[in-house]
Amino acid sequence: MAGLPAVARAQDKVELLFWAWTPDTQTQVDLFQKKYPGISVKLENVGQGPPHYVKLRNAIKAGSGLPDVAQMEFNSIASFKQLGVLADLAPYGVGDVGPKFIDWTWKSVTDNSGKIYAVPWDSGPMGLLYRADVFDKNGLSVPETWDDYAEQAIKLKDKAPGTFMCDFGASDAGWVCAVLWQAGWRPFHLDGTNLKIAINDDIAKKWATYWQKLIDAKAIDVKPMWTTEWFAGLDAGTYASWVTAAWAPVLMQQSMKKSFGQWRAAPMPQWEKGGKITSNWGGSTFAAFTASKHPKEAALFCQFMGADPEASKLWNTKQFLFPVLKDLIDDKELMGHGYDFYGGQKVNEIFAISENQVDPSFEFAPFQDYVNQQLQDEMASAIAGNGTLAQAFDRVQDTVVSYANDQGFTVL
Amino acid sequence: MTIAARTVHSAAFRRQRWLLTAVLGIYFVYTFIPLLYVIVSATKTNADLFGTFGLWFAGDFAFWENLRGLFTYQDGAFSGWLLNTFLYAAVSGLGAAFFATCAGYAFAKYQFRGKKLCFALVLGAVMIPQTALSVPLFLMLSKIGLVNTPAAVILPSLVFPPGVFLMCVYIQDAVSNELIEAGRVDGAGELHIFGRIAFRLLMPGFATVLILAFVSTWNNYFLPLVMLSSSEYFPITVGLSQWYASATSGSGGTVLFTIVMAGALVSVLPVIAAFLFMQRWWQGGLASGGVKA
Amino acid sequence: MPTTRASPSSELGAGGRAATAAPARPAARAHRRILVGRKLAPYVFLAPFLLLFAGFLIAPLLYAFQMSLFRETLVGGARFVGLDNYVRAIHDGSFWDGVGRLLQFGLMQIPVMLGLALVFALILDSGLVLARGFFRVAFFIPYAVPGVIAALLWGYLYGPAFGPFSQMSEAMGFGRIDFLSGGGLLPSLANIAVWEYMGYNMIIYYAALQSVPRDLEEASAIDGATPLQHSLRIKLPLIVPTIIVTVIFSIIGTLQLFTEPYLMRNLAPSQINSHYTPNYYAYTLAFTSQQYNYSAAISFALGAVVAVASYGFMLLANRGGRR
Repeated sequence: MAGLPAVARAQDKVELLFWAWTPDTQTQVDLFQKKYPGISVKLENVGQGPPHYVKLRNAIKAGSGLPDVAQMEFNSIASFKQLGVLADLAPYGVGDVGPKFIDWTWKSVTDNSGKIYAVPWDSGPMGLLYRADVFDKNGLSVPETWDDYAEQAIKLKDKAPGTFMCDFGASDAGWVCAVLWQAGWRPFHLDGTNLKIAINDDIAKKWATYWQKLIDAKAIDVKPMWTTEWFAGLDAGTYASWVTAAWAPVLMQQSMKKSFGQWRAAPMPQWEKGGKITSNWGGSTFAAFTASKHPKEAALFCQFMGADPEASKLWNTKQFLFPVLKDLIDDKELMGHGYDFYGGQKVNEIFAISENQVDPSFEFAPFQDYVNQQLQDEMASAIAGNGTLAQAFDRVQDTVVSYANDQGFTVL
Repeated sequence: MTIAARTVHSAAFRRQRWLLTAVLGIYFVYTFIPLLYVIVSATKTNADLFGTFGLWFAGDFAFWENLRGLFTYQDGAFSGWLLNTFLYAAVSGLGAAFFATCAGYAFAKYQFRGKKLCFALVLGAVMIPQTALSVPLFLMLSKIGLVNTPAAVILPSLVFPPGVFLMCVYIQDAVSNELIEAGRVDGAGELHIFGRIAFRLLMPGFATVLILAFVSTWNNYFLPLVMLSSSEYFPITVGLSQWYASATSGSGGTVLFTIVMAGALVSVLPVIAAFLFMQRWWQGGLASGGVKA
Repeated sequence: MPTTRASPSSELGAGGRAATAAPARPAARAHRRILVGRKLAPYVFLAPFLLLFAGFLIAPLLYAFQMSLFRETLVGGARFVGLDNYVRAIHDGSFWDGVGRLLQFGLMQIPVMLGLALVFALILDSGLVLARGFFRVAFFIPYAVPGVIAALLWGYLYGPAFGPFSQMSEAMGFGRIDFLSGGGLLPSLANIAVWEYMGYNMIIYYAALQSVPRDLEEASAIDGATPLQHSLRIKLPLIVPTIIVTVIFSIIGTLQLFTEPYLMRNLAPSQINSHYTPNYYAYTLAFTSQQYNYSAAISFALGAVVAVASYGFMLLANRGGRR
């Protein structure tokens, strides 16, 4: 920049608009602006999850008002890719940082053509949180397989009626997709406009039968998650365990007091004995839009926010996001923090191992919101007594196929 | 004097008074229990919120902490939201009430060409749910560059059809035709009659529509949610619901329930204040034969 | 309208100041310029409202109607389909289920809410009770409580394991109550609506009652009527037009029910699905399924249902009035 007059340099200052909801993101944004004084970034929280995506879609429809970069959860990338609005970051050298990321996360943001649609931000590898006190009191052992889990659940129900092994998370399609993902469910594959839809395949049916058995035996509860009752139930010990993601430990610490010190973490139960497959629930990325007037700076921003060593370490230590960078996952010190809420256990170690075991071949639908809604509706209907979970999957398959045809896809 | 005032010393009256007050008292308990939950929750920590009895206080009294958290979280965004909400509600409330009053006056006191059509149109348009309007309204405002500005929230809120009908009905009774005719006979113009003569009689109705429009805008969630994408313009409804959702966001989730409860409490106070302020226009005897006591 | 209104005392304005001037002095008449004549006046008064109405209600409605005549898909863009979306709406079971549900809801909720509002307004207006101002504000506050906390709040109150009412019922030996399941859901939602909106309607009735001239009351007293008789026989009939307005808007509000299912969705997902009410259905069609066109058609179809219900009610009311 030597020799350029000061006036021109001021005019060169690029302004980016960044929509994200993760708390305290301003910290990392400030780091970026310090390192790149020529670029100023305005951070806005326009809503969490659904309202954020509604605003994005409205702006896309209106043809104006889109930010340069936005928080984009892993499960939404396919949907916005379908709308053709995600900018390819490859031409700006973002591919250089690819190898730094855990494989499945990088695979989720790229495709076979070499395009890069986003930079991974954080993740939610799955594991098991359980109540050591409830387990001890009822003589339960930590299950390693799902069969084991079911056995313990029945045992618990017999010994302590009113206490459940867990609450069935059908009210949250994110949970449903995550546990099915681990079981090998691959419901979608998009190739151009050809879409393979296999929602009610054998794996889904096997999974449905498994949980139906537990529901029928009243060994698990079927209340909706994220409600007052549910939080209270976890705290009170009504639910002995929760199959959940790496971000859950921190959340529980903030919202529970009675069960302080009683929770522990363990690996996610496996379908095959000795198996080492897990899945992911949640997690976001940084995505840039084709409508951006500053694609190069937007790409640079995405790369920094996701891969810069200082910024990414802060994500983990300040906002307690679960990392996606190999360096951080392998960082024994970072992952080795012992939490009093968990009786001093280094819970992150469990989830770090899980992170490396997430199966990378899962694909979300190009209209995942619709699929989630259908899953939630139909599973809720089954729980209310309208048929079995397996039949619910059949219904979802029908409506999604019909929707896909309606929307112009060629359904295979 | 009211009939009630006349009979103040009879035993039957006193019995009636206590009975009626008790009836209101019972409904008050019903009204208050949910509010009690809000108040009590605002005094707890998040960890206590789900572990203690909801309608009574917990060991840790965290009200001041929650208040402090409310006003400092996210760099004090809440104060800005409070001001925004007040601005939107006051401007929209006054504007909506005024325009509704003028329109109601037209419907109530005049016969004119197209009256029936206008009436049916206004009523008919309200029958279509506002959800149908949000995307088109967004697209339209986006074209003229008003999206993500206070105008995007205020302008649509100035349209308050229930106010028009309420004022129409109110004005029919409160302002007599003879009064208007007398004004005309005196040579007063229509605007003069409305502004100087009729308006005074309308005050209780105007005050009612004002408070209804004010609170309706104060509580409006959907319109600002669609129109605004900068935190600096958010009203409380949008801001608080963001904080509320932050617990269920999965990664990076932060439980903010008790701060949100404190925010809900705080946000009710200005409405109560506005209500109490409006009450003086409801004092009986305003619109009708003065106090002859 | 009773002719008692023509009495001079009813024309006195605030504080007893005479609003009618004594016959004006001829000199004054000559100085007053009439800006707006009698014929133009109604249009002038109507104009500000009508302009805003046209811009912010009619224009988007027309746009939405246009949208409802097209079909836009994720693959392949938009094309004109005429009334196809409406035909689909008419045959859509989810839509009619929602309508039926709301009719049930309305029959439960509207009479209770407006009935209570009327009774309380009459009680407060009669001047018989203590602490009128306190009750007025107190009953209005629920309307001012932001909906955002409704899910936490009612999730707690209605909770079968940790909610106070269920716990009380259990303690008394009646077992837990699950307010949000099966047949209990609609009344539970209706309860929330009554709690929220009773005060709103009560204030409207109260203001209307307060505007009834006091001299009528004196006339009644002279006739020997009790406050109760005066309230019911004289005042109540006088505010019937106001009551009709509130009934119509309650019908409209009920058939357009959105906020309560939207906020309570997560509490009772087995019951409150994405098409629980037609308005909520229109919302999820637009914002979850990205079917904006069909969503618009559903909204207009709902508007038609609302129109039928409202005009039906107005016909009934008119016929009832013309005895």
